[in-house]
Amino acid sequence: LKMAAEPTREWSDEQLKSDDLPKKDVIKFIQDNAAHSFLNEHKLLGNIKNVAKTAKKEQLIIAYNQLFESKRFKGTDPVEAVTEQVKAVKIEEKPKEVKTEVVDEGPPKYTKSVLKKGDKTNFPKKGDTVSCWYTGTLEDGTVFDTNIPTAARKKKQTKPLSFKVGMGRVIRGWDEGLLTMSKGETARLEIEPEWAYGKKGLPDSKIPPNAKLIFEVELVAVD
Amino acid sequence: MALEQLSDVVQRCQALPSDSYTAEDHDVFTIAGRSCIEEGNSAQVLSIVLDEKNQDMVRCMGWNLLPPLIPVLLKKEDKNLPQCLAIFNHLIQTCRPKELLIGLLEQLEQDDPDTIAESLHLLLSPLQKVLLCLGSRKPSSLGMTLSSVLDQVAKLPLPRTKEQEEDDVFSLCRCCTDLTDFVRPFVDEARQNLLTTKTHSEDIDKTTAGQDEMEDELATELLKFCMKTLSHPLLEVQLRDPDTLPVSPLRMFATEILETLRAIGESLPSLVYQPLLRRKQVPGFLEEEVRYPKESLASLAHLVFVHHLAADTFPSVFSPVFSLRCTMEHILLLLSRTEDFRIQKGLELYEKSLVRLEDGSLPADLLEIKTFLTVPQNLVKVMTICPRHDLRTRGLKVFQLSVDKFDTEAKYRFFQYMLKTSNHSGVEGYIIKNIKNQIDIALQPGNSSTWFEGVHLLPLLRKVLILPDGPETDLLQYLDRIMESLNLLRYLVIRDKVTENQTGIWTELYKIEDSFMKPLRVGINMSRAHYEREMHNTMEAKKKKKAKEEESVLSVSVGDEKLPSMTSESQIQALHSALHTFDMIESVLVRIEELVQVKDDP
Repeated sequence: LKMAAEPTREWSDEQLKSDDLPKKDVIKFIQDNAAHSFLNEHKLLGNIKNVAKTAKKEQLIIAYNQLFESKRFKGTDPVEAVTEQVKAVKIEEKPKEVKTEVVDEGPPKYTKSVLKKGDKTNFPKKGDTVSCWYTGTLEDGTVFDTNIPTAARKKKQTKPLSFKVGMGRVIRGWDEGLLTMSKGETARLEIEPEWAYGKKGLPDSKIPPNAKLIFEVELVAVD
Repeated sequence: MALEQLSDVVQRCQALPSDSYTAEDHDVFTIAGRSCIEEGNSAQVLSIVLDEKNQDMVRCMGWNLLPPLIPVLLKKEDKNLPQCLAIFNHLIQTCRPKELLIGLLEQLEQDDPDTIAESLHLLLSPLQKVLLCLGSRKPSSLGMTLSSVLDQVAKLPLPRTKEQEEDDVFSLCRCCTDLTDFVRPFVDEARQNLLTTKTHSEDIDKTTAGQDEMEDELATELLKFCMKTLSHPLLEVQLRDPDTLPVSPLRMFATEILETLRAIGESLPSLVYQPLLRRKQVPGFLEEEVRYPKESLASLAHLVFVHHLAADTFPSVFSPVFSLRCTMEHILLLLSRTEDFRIQKGLELYEKSLVRLEDGSLPADLLEIKTFLTVPQNLVKVMTICPRHDLRTRGLKVFQLSVDKFDTEAKYRFFQYMLKTSNHSGVEGYIIKNIKNQIDIALQPGNSSTWFEGVHLLPLLRKVLILPDGPETDLLQYLDRIMESLNLLRYLVIRDKVTENQTGIWTELYKIEDSFMKPLRVGINMSRAHYEREMHNTMEAKKKKKAKEEESVLSVSVGDEKLPSMTSESQIQALHSALHTFDMIESVLVRIEELVQVKDDP
């Protein structure tokens, strides 16, 4: 397996410490060049903006230097070698229904269709905080709930819905469904009433008794 | 005289730069100016105040004239009103915001409700103007203002009925509307800040630390304001729904408060579900519990779940059980005190939360959560002690509803708990009736459960079929419980065939005879003997002393009036009633003994 040439240092220590060098650039470099396990240890996985919020410049400088000392570049993780090969294969990424997954946990009370693939790396575990944009409709198409703002100007005002997944805080269809999604994924969850609001529905709302609910959910972040 | 003094000091100061006015100049201006206005010479004061040459002086000292102006403006029929209004408006435009703020806030303090409402109506608008002129001091000054305003609002009587809200005699509704108008620009600013903060955080290298702090301060002051209003007046008034009262200023006010919370970045679900969510510590100058007072959150939960305010923005994805677990904390708080409006809201919130659940869906492990035990205890207090009949009835209805939602094991444990802790014969009787119903259900074909028949039932029965104080038990005091226990026992011996013994009652019966039936029999006999003797004595006494007032051992007073002692007739009636009760108890006991005899004899 031919490995790529080792990456070289782009910045000197002085340049790194300078305020002219934004954190984003350092993070991007490290994310592009470091092994997955390295990124994980140094908490540098995920959306650059989010990482920038949580990581201090000093930490990034340390990580940057450690990367070159340890030489834990991409491809040095045992698994990554194969992953690189797989990535090399071209995959069609059209945002249409790829497949319908029937989740195999006893009698299936929901189905999931992936509309847009996620990064397939960041899967939430029970207790993680997830953030989503979603739209909920009834079988007849009535939209009963959404947190996606309609007007563009309002987009900045709204935040995605955040909650701890897998803890019974949301309807079961969501808890089970979201655990199978990865960051960036958009999926269509069709949830039977037993794993939604059941015989009672949600009184004083648009959800009647015994309603099957259809959610289009985009998993934006996993913390 | 005052006018001369005023003219003099004004003349003198015209020539001086403003930083060389002496303390005496200030005092003379203040005293003379105020006197002029009080004496009705406001026209002259107006011309002085408007004069170009005097503007420096007005800017420095003008605010001191506020105290006599305000009463004139409030009186409305005063002939000096136009001039005073003109002076007032000019001062608001000209004087320094910081000093105007102090002057205006002082004038807010009033004692009687009418003046309070009128002065709020008058002063909120100029206060707003003044605050908008303040720079970095704005948030803390806004906070101070809102605090004073709410203190004043707290003195106004609250409308108690729909008609009172419509009539708004004490102007509370108008004050709330005025208050909404007052905060609007600040809320808009906070909303804007939220947008710019989000933009900033995407461009992480720009340091705007100072600016962010001030923006956060504004949001914090508005949060304080919202939390306060949720407690008062919103917790204490009853909001009317749109069908009852299409135009409701109070409902509008509540809606605006919820909207303000959203504008400052607070998430409604996070707030109402806060009891269970471990919120991150917010670095700032308010501690968590002070920042989000429990009472305010309970009020908010009620607005969201009972009145459905902001319903279209509240996510429909949360599980009803999770929702219940969170709201139990709010319900506990509301049911912990005795004020009618709190109890009513607590019951409403509890009912709304339960109705969403399917019967028999709540598992027993929920009973390990403290609120699932303390709320029923508070509910018992409502059912038994609350002076309002409708609340007692509603309390009972909600209590039964809560029982229905538990699954079988949970019901079993709950009944055990309530029998142990409720210490009230009526409640115990009610629980025992529920136990009977559960046994009845369990005995129906296809329903068998381990909890209400067989192994587990017997320990529960032993706690039911018992006399609290043995043969000495006061049968009248424990009547409800004893009757229901007897009904249960009678039901069991009829329903459960001795050959099947599904409930285990037949093998247990000999123990029950010893621990329950025999002592009860003894107790009945003793009580009956006692009351019959009392009856005899009373009748004898009645014959002997017809005219003389009977000396009783006790007297009862209600308020300051001593109640008249029971007349002999009443006493005799009460004794008859007691004897009749013993007959009633005995009749059921006898019936049970008969049924048991029949089953014993082949």
